[in-house]
Amino acid sequence: MEKRNGQLNGHDPGVFRKRFKIVFAVISIMICLLIIRMWHLQVLRGDELKQRSENNSVRLRKIKPLRGLILDTNGQVMVDNQPSFDIIFVPPHARNIDDVAYKLRNLLAARSLALTSEIPSLGKKRWFPPVKLDKNISIEKLAIIETHTADLPGVTVEVVPIRKYLSGEMTAHLIGYTGEISPEELKKDTNSSLSVGDIIGKDGLEKYLDQYLKGKSGAEQVEVNVLGKEIKVIGKIEPVSGYNVVLTIDAFLQKIAWEAMNDKAGAVAVIDPRNGAVLALVSKPSFNPNLFNGGISFDDWEELSTDPSHPLGNRAISGQYPPGSTYKLFVAAAALEEGLITPDTSFNCNGSFEFGNRTYKCWNKHGHGRVSLHRAIVESCDVYFYNVGKLVGVDKIAEYARAFGLGDATGIDLPREKSGLIPTKEWKLSRFKEAWQPGETLSISIGQGFDLVTPIQLVNAYASLANGGTVYKPRVVKRIETADGRILNTFEPELKSTLPLSKETMDILTRALWGVVNENGGTGQALRRKEADVCGKTGTAQVVGLPDNETARKRKIISAKFKDHALFVCFAPYKNPEIAIAVIAENAGHGGSAAAPIARKIIDAYFENKNMKNKKTQPLMAADERSQAGIHR
Amino acid sequence: MKFDRRLFFNFDWTLLVLILVISVIGILNIYSAGNSLANFRQETLYIKQVQWIVLGLILIGIVICIDYRFICRFAYIIYAISILLLIVVALYGYATHGSQRWIVVGGFFFQPSELVKLTIIIALAKYFDDHMTERSYSLKELLMPFIIVLIPFLFILKQPDLGTALMLIFIASSVCFFIGIKWRSLLLAVSGVLILVPFSWFFLKDYQKERIMTFFNPEDDPLGAGYHIIQSIIAVGSGGIFGKGYLKGTQTQLKFLPVQQTDFVFSVFAEEWGFLGGLILMIMFLILILWCLKIAMNSRDLLGLLLSFGITMLIFWEVFVNVGMVLGMLPVVGIPLPFLSYGGSSMVVLMTTMGLMLNVSMRRFILHP
Repeated sequence: MEKRNGQLNGHDPGVFRKRFKIVFAVISIMICLLIIRMWHLQVLRGDELKQRSENNSVRLRKIKPLRGLILDTNGQVMVDNQPSFDIIFVPPHARNIDDVAYKLRNLLAARSLALTSEIPSLGKKRWFPPVKLDKNISIEKLAIIETHTADLPGVTVEVVPIRKYLSGEMTAHLIGYTGEISPEELKKDTNSSLSVGDIIGKDGLEKYLDQYLKGKSGAEQVEVNVLGKEIKVIGKIEPVSGYNVVLTIDAFLQKIAWEAMNDKAGAVAVIDPRNGAVLALVSKPSFNPNLFNGGISFDDWEELSTDPSHPLGNRAISGQYPPGSTYKLFVAAAALEEGLITPDTSFNCNGSFEFGNRTYKCWNKHGHGRVSLHRAIVESCDVYFYNVGKLVGVDKIAEYARAFGLGDATGIDLPREKSGLIPTKEWKLSRFKEAWQPGETLSISIGQGFDLVTPIQLVNAYASLANGGTVYKPRVVKRIETADGRILNTFEPELKSTLPLSKETMDILTRALWGVVNENGGTGQALRRKEADVCGKTGTAQVVGLPDNETARKRKIISAKFKDHALFVCFAPYKNPEIAIAVIAENAGHGGSAAAPIARKIIDAYFENKNMKNKKTQPLMAADERSQAGIHR
Repeated sequence: MKFDRRLFFNFDWTLLVLILVISVIGILNIYSAGNSLANFRQETLYIKQVQWIVLGLILIGIVICIDYRFICRFAYIIYAISILLLIVVALYGYATHGSQRWIVVGGFFFQPSELVKLTIIIALAKYFDDHMTERSYSLKELLMPFIIVLIPFLFILKQPDLGTALMLIFIASSVCFFIGIKWRSLLLAVSGVLILVPFSWFFLKDYQKERIMTFFNPEDDPLGAGYHIIQSIIAVGSGGIFGKGYLKGTQTQLKFLPVQQTDFVFSVFAEEWGFLGGLILMIMFLILILWCLKIAMNSRDLLGLLLSFGITMLIFWEVFVNVGMVLGMLPVVGIPLPFLSYGGSSMVVLMTTMGLMLNVSMRRFILHP
């Protein structure tokens, strides 16, 4: 292992000893150079630099950028910026801090105004950083402070941009809100691009698109005098405004959907089945996002976050509901495509279905008689689907439901989306360590039991049938532009998968959905328009699961909390659909009577608006033709 | 391995105590730098630094148990692994502030370029020990060492991390000078570098050019790159002879200083402890470096000598370049101050080098088996 066995140091000590001496000397000299430089700075120039550090100072001040605007699909501004006036206190010298605090309090007390934050006591510290005493102050306070600046050394008013949510509650969940970065969020920010006091998106699109919207802070170097008053700006780096975001949302339709929901809790999701563009997304109850501007007050936050109706959650993408009878579409698709039934397969419904030692009821206790698939969907016969579900089995139903995009987050460009739940045998075994019960298959066949879907999933599933079998990723962002209008990024429709259904199957199902609305005995006749162009499906989801006996049902009617959720999903027109809607109204009763009328208002408004637009352009053309004709004459 | 009692008696307690004292100063200083109001993000960094030091001490304990000659048998493998890590950084590394320097493993950030500082020292020591000559080395013979340094140098330059890349050159040049280069070869090498330097300007990133330009004229750009230098000089100078006192540095507490817990940590110290404190710290560093040099001089064989000499130069260059930068004598390049700057990778590697130092020191009287 060793080549130099026996030789003490393995090298000639003489040569190295000399070199060591040189290195020794060089290192000592170089460290001495550092010490000499320290002497120069600290002893010779010490007083001068101390002076500079004390009364200078030249402060580096961050300039907050304007956040990007958010516009609807037609370019209407939904979120704007407005100035907020904040009172900042930069104590220049310890000796007059109490004096300033006293004056400031007296001035404001005279008009019975208060500061949100106390003027901190300096204690033994000689220095401390600027303090924000109040945010987003009233014009009254602003006037008082501005007229007394001479008496209030160190007190300045800073103008910072804050958000203005023009559509308020209507889009609170979709757009979200902003706020000052929290300590936890700062810790998570590993690439340290953010700092204390930064405004970031906290929820909704404000959060999801924060990196585009936030812009880049600028900085300003200001020289301040002994009173902390700014003397001049020495250098400035301009902030860069955030990018503007154009949504697929149609503000008009959003308003209609919002108003149609009235005071019901629940959600509406409207999408364009041709490309997955979300046209409206409503969640109720809502909150006023403008409360968050410049920091939400403690009381407001308490009220919102502890409200039992959860106004902060976005039900349209994170509310998970049993799909009820709207689920029958997927069960029918599975059965048809697997060849287990034909459109002519019929079962007899006498109002209930015996299975094991239990009775599963149809919603119509008198029974539907002998029904085929078409009528079973039109009349939403439960017994028919108990029979079909039994034939298909839970795993096959799940396979087809998943193909429609259920059971997985749709991937919509919004935060906090939930995935819903489509049960399988395997899932139950791993979740509950219990085998699947055949009776549970009957429950899920009519969209009860473990089945859970979100409104956006539901509308997207129906939209994929409407467009002929393509599952798109729903999206709310259409385009991102720079502040001066240059297009940075356009989001194209994103194809997720195609339905494993034959054209024939899809036609049968679509025709049945048309029947639900347009045939006598259909459950969705609230949508029957003179154009007869709407296809849809009602659903009524029981809030308390099975078993349900007569007394339980009666109790439900008494207590609103246990009343059924009303669902309605539809698309229109029948040929080449261009709008798909899912409505869920919590504890509102039957889908056909409580949810369908809401969808009706949206459909009517949509087509009315479209016709109006067409008319606006048509007379022009007509006039054009006329003038041409005139020339001819 | 049979335990040799001489290992215990020859253990270099002085070195260990020196390391610990400087590290404790480092912790107190990081605490002060993070103590200012409205800065909750960095409040707890000093606790993390304590954890890194404890981890480092454990590593020292492990490293001293294994004879350095045994470790150096795997010199090239260790070297290859560190290069591999650099490749991983280049491909999958985590980027911040425009440079890709980190590997993230289970929430921990590791900077392989820190490790490379050590592995090239080991690789060079091994190479020169295997190819010992009585005369000075010619350029041809130095080709291999050149390649050993060039590979990590290019990777690190690409990240880009100019400071660490230059550090590799400084360490390797020191070792080569020490081992002896023919005068003619030296002249050739130096003139070659002088020709290449103007060209290298075109390969620098904009921010690096900017920093070098502002070094020559900081007042030109008081808001951007020059800001660091000016504020650092004000901080150090305003400390005066006796300093403003612990936790009372106004430049520090009022956040005028940039990256005050890592590269500019010395300005925090100098502001609060003044010239006297700075002098004492510098003397402690000098003692540490000279002590390490003595270990190199007294080492049992050429391998130990080169290993400990390389490590000594690593510490020296880092202290010199970092403090020189803080005092405005050298351009701003990202070099940590040993034992004082906050940083896990740097601390852990530093402690490992000290383990090797102790390792060489305690085996100085043991003859080859």
